[in-house]
Amino acid sequence: LTPTRLENALAAPSRQAIRRALSPRSVALALGDIQQISARLRQLDSPLGPLKVGVIRSFTTEPLRPYWYFEALLAGFDLELHEAPYGSTILQAAPDSDLARFAPDCTFVFLLWEDLDPGFGTVITAAGASERDAIVKGAVERTTAWLDDLRGVLAGTIVVALLPPMTPPELGLHEPMSAQPEGEVRRRVRDGLTTHFRDRLPDTHLCDLDDAVATCGRNEFFDPRLWYSTRFPFGVHGAQEVVRRFMAYPLVALRSTVKCIVLDGDNTLWGGVLGEDGPEGVSLGPDYPGSVYTAFQRRLAAFRERGILLALCTRNDPGDVERLLQRHPHAVLRPEHFAAVSAGWGSKPEGVTTIARDLNIGLDAVVYVDDSPQECHEVELSLPQVEVVATPTRLVDLPACLDDLPRLEVLTLTDEDRRRQELYAQERVRRNSVREGGSAAKHLAGLDMRMTIAIDERAAAGRVAQLTQRTNQFNLTTRRYSENEILALVDDDAVLVAHCSLRDIFGDSGIVGVAIVRCEAGGVAEFDTFLLSCRVIGRMAETAFLAGVLDRLAARDVTRVRGRYLPTAKNHLVEDFWTRHGFADVDDTTAETALPASLPVLAPIGVEFADAIARESV
Amino acid sequence: MPSPVNQFETLRGVLASTFETRPEAISPSTTQEDVEGWDSIGHINLMLALEESFGVILDVDEMLELTSVAAILGLLDRLGTA
Repeated sequence: LTPTRLENALAAPSRQAIRRALSPRSVALALGDIQQISARLRQLDSPLGPLKVGVIRSFTTEPLRPYWYFEALLAGFDLELHEAPYGSTILQAAPDSDLARFAPDCTFVFLLWEDLDPGFGTVITAAGASERDAIVKGAVERTTAWLDDLRGVLAGTIVVALLPPMTPPELGLHEPMSAQPEGEVRRRVRDGLTTHFRDRLPDTHLCDLDDAVATCGRNEFFDPRLWYSTRFPFGVHGAQEVVRRFMAYPLVALRSTVKCIVLDGDNTLWGGVLGEDGPEGVSLGPDYPGSVYTAFQRRLAAFRERGILLALCTRNDPGDVERLLQRHPHAVLRPEHFAAVSAGWGSKPEGVTTIARDLNIGLDAVVYVDDSPQECHEVELSLPQVEVVATPTRLVDLPACLDDLPRLEVLTLTDEDRRRQELYAQERVRRNSVREGGSAAKHLAGLDMRMTIAIDERAAAGRVAQLTQRTNQFNLTTRRYSENEILALVDDDAVLVAHCSLRDIFGDSGIVGVAIVRCEAGGVAEFDTFLLSCRVIGRMAETAFLAGVLDRLAARDVTRVRGRYLPTAKNHLVEDFWTRHGFADVDDTTAETALPASLPVLAPIGVEFADAIARESV
Repeated sequence: MPSPVNQFETLRGVLASTFETRPEAISPSTTQEDVEGWDSIGHINLMLALEESFGVILDVDEMLELTSVAAILGLLDRLGTA
C-alpha cells in the first residue's frame, strides 16, 4: 500500500525489524507485497521450527494460502498446511480422518452460522420465542457434540471461527431497540459454545471474527464478488486480518509468552521531558497531546489484566519519576501498577537487564517500548532476545501500538494470572524484609512457610501446563506441555503429576511448582519434569517439594529414582540440583538415588498433601 | 501510462509472481490451461493481483471471462489503462 512500508520491510535485516517495518498491521498490505516479503522472509531461518496447521471449513479458503505462509514466516514458523477437503467438516472428527493422521499442532475450524443450525439460513427475526430457543439449543448441542469428537481425535490447539453475517441486521436501524434482536440469538449460541469449551474442551477456543469485521469494516472484510461466484468470502483486507488473528494462537500456545512490557518514560509514557518540564509540566490529561499519552496509559493498564507486568525504564531523576507517578492528576499508571522501576542515568540495556533480573524473568519474555530510534537500536543490538517496539511516527497511533503484537495475546487466564500483579507486590515486600531482617535462614524461618502438594488434580491442568510453558530458569528438563497433554498424563496410572503451592505470612503464592514422574517396571521412576516458578526461587521450596514427592513415590513402592538435567541457555541455575539433593551422577545428564531417601538438606517449610487434607476433613 | 508492450510485461510479472513461475514461460498466447496453478483458486488470486497492479475493479462476469493473456489484455485495453 505505502511503498515505504514494503521497501522498509524488504531492506530490514532481521525478522523483528521486518515486523516493525510492517506496523501498523491494521492497514492492509497488497497481496503482491505479501508475496515479495514472504520471499524475503524465506531467506531467513525459522527460529520457531516447524508448525503443522490444519484447516476445516465449510466454504472456500484456498485463496488464504499466501496469507497463511506469510503470517507463519513473519512469526518465525516453518509452516506445513493441511486443508481438509471442502465440505468434509463432519468427517474430520473420525479417528482415521486425513486430518487426524496429519496431527496438526493447531487446527482452524471455519463455520457458517447455518452449519450450526438450519434456522440461521432463514429469517431469524421471523422466529418466535420457542423457535429461537430451539435454534439455540440445536446449534449448541450439534456443534459441541461434533467438537467433542474432534477434540478426541486431535491433540493440538483448536480454534473455531464463525463467519459473521455479510449483511447488516435484518431489522436495520431498529435492531438495537428491538425486544427480540437478531444478535441475541447468535450471542446465546456463542455463550453456549464458549461455556462448553471452558468446562469440557481444553485448548479449544472461539475466535471473535466480529471484532475482525469491526477492524476492517464490513465492506473491506467481505468481497461479495468472490463469495457469490466461488464461496470465498474475504476481501484482501479481511483475509489478512483473519489469518493474522489466527496465527497468534499457535504462537502463544506453543512458544513462551511475554511476561513484562518495559516502557521508556519521556515521550513514550508521557509527553515532554521530565527533567526539563518537571513532574507537573509533562503532557498528560484531557488536551492534546496529553490526551494521547493518557489513552496509552489506560491501554497499558488493561494489559495488566492479561497478567502482563509493566515496568518503567527511564533516564530521569528517581525522585522526579516518583513525584510524577504519585501526584500528576492525569497519570493513569501509579507506582503500584509497575512491577519494577529503573530510574537513573545508566544505559537502557542496563536498565532492562536489571528489571528482568529483579523480576526473575528471562529477557526473551520482555517487550521494550521507546520513542527514540537510537535507544531502540541500542537495546536491540545489546539484547537481541528482547522484542523492541518503536512508537509510531504519528502520535495518535501510540495508544494502539501494542495491539499488533501477537505475543501479548493470552489464550487462557488463570486466577494466578489475575493475581500476578499482587503477588509481585508481595514479593517486593518480602525482598525488602530479607534486606532488613538479617540472615537468610532466619528470615526464611520467620516467614512461617507452608506447602501444599496435590497429585493428579485435573482442575489444575491449565495452570500446570502454563508453568511448563513459561518456566525457563528453574526447570530441569524444559519440556513444554499443553493443557490437553497434562490431562492425559494425569489420567495415566503410570505417571504422577504433582504440583505445589506455598503460603506464608505475606500471602498465598498459588501453584508454583510442577513435578511429573513416570514410573517404570521394577520399582524404577524418572522425573520427566521438575520446575519451580521464579516467584519462589531462593526460599528452599524446591527442597520441600522434592522431599514430598519422593515420600509419595516411596509409598508407591518405588525404590530407585532417576533425575535428569537437560541444559538450556537459561537453566544453569539448577545444574547441580540433583547432586545437591543427594542424587549420584550416572552420566552427564542423569543422576539417581535410592528410596526411601533422606535428603542432605532440609527446608524450613511444613508440607501437607491436598488429598490428605481432603480425607481428614471428610 | 504504460504502452501496450509495457502492459504485457507488467501482466507477465503479475502472472509469474501469482503462479510462482518464470516470466519467460508466459507469452501473449498463454491461456489458463497452459499454467500450472491457474485453477479456480489460483484464478481468484490472479484477479485480486490484477486489480492491485492495474488499479482496476473487475465485476464478476469479467472475472469469469479472463481465462487467457489475450482476454486480460483486451479487457485492460477496454478499461483504458493502456
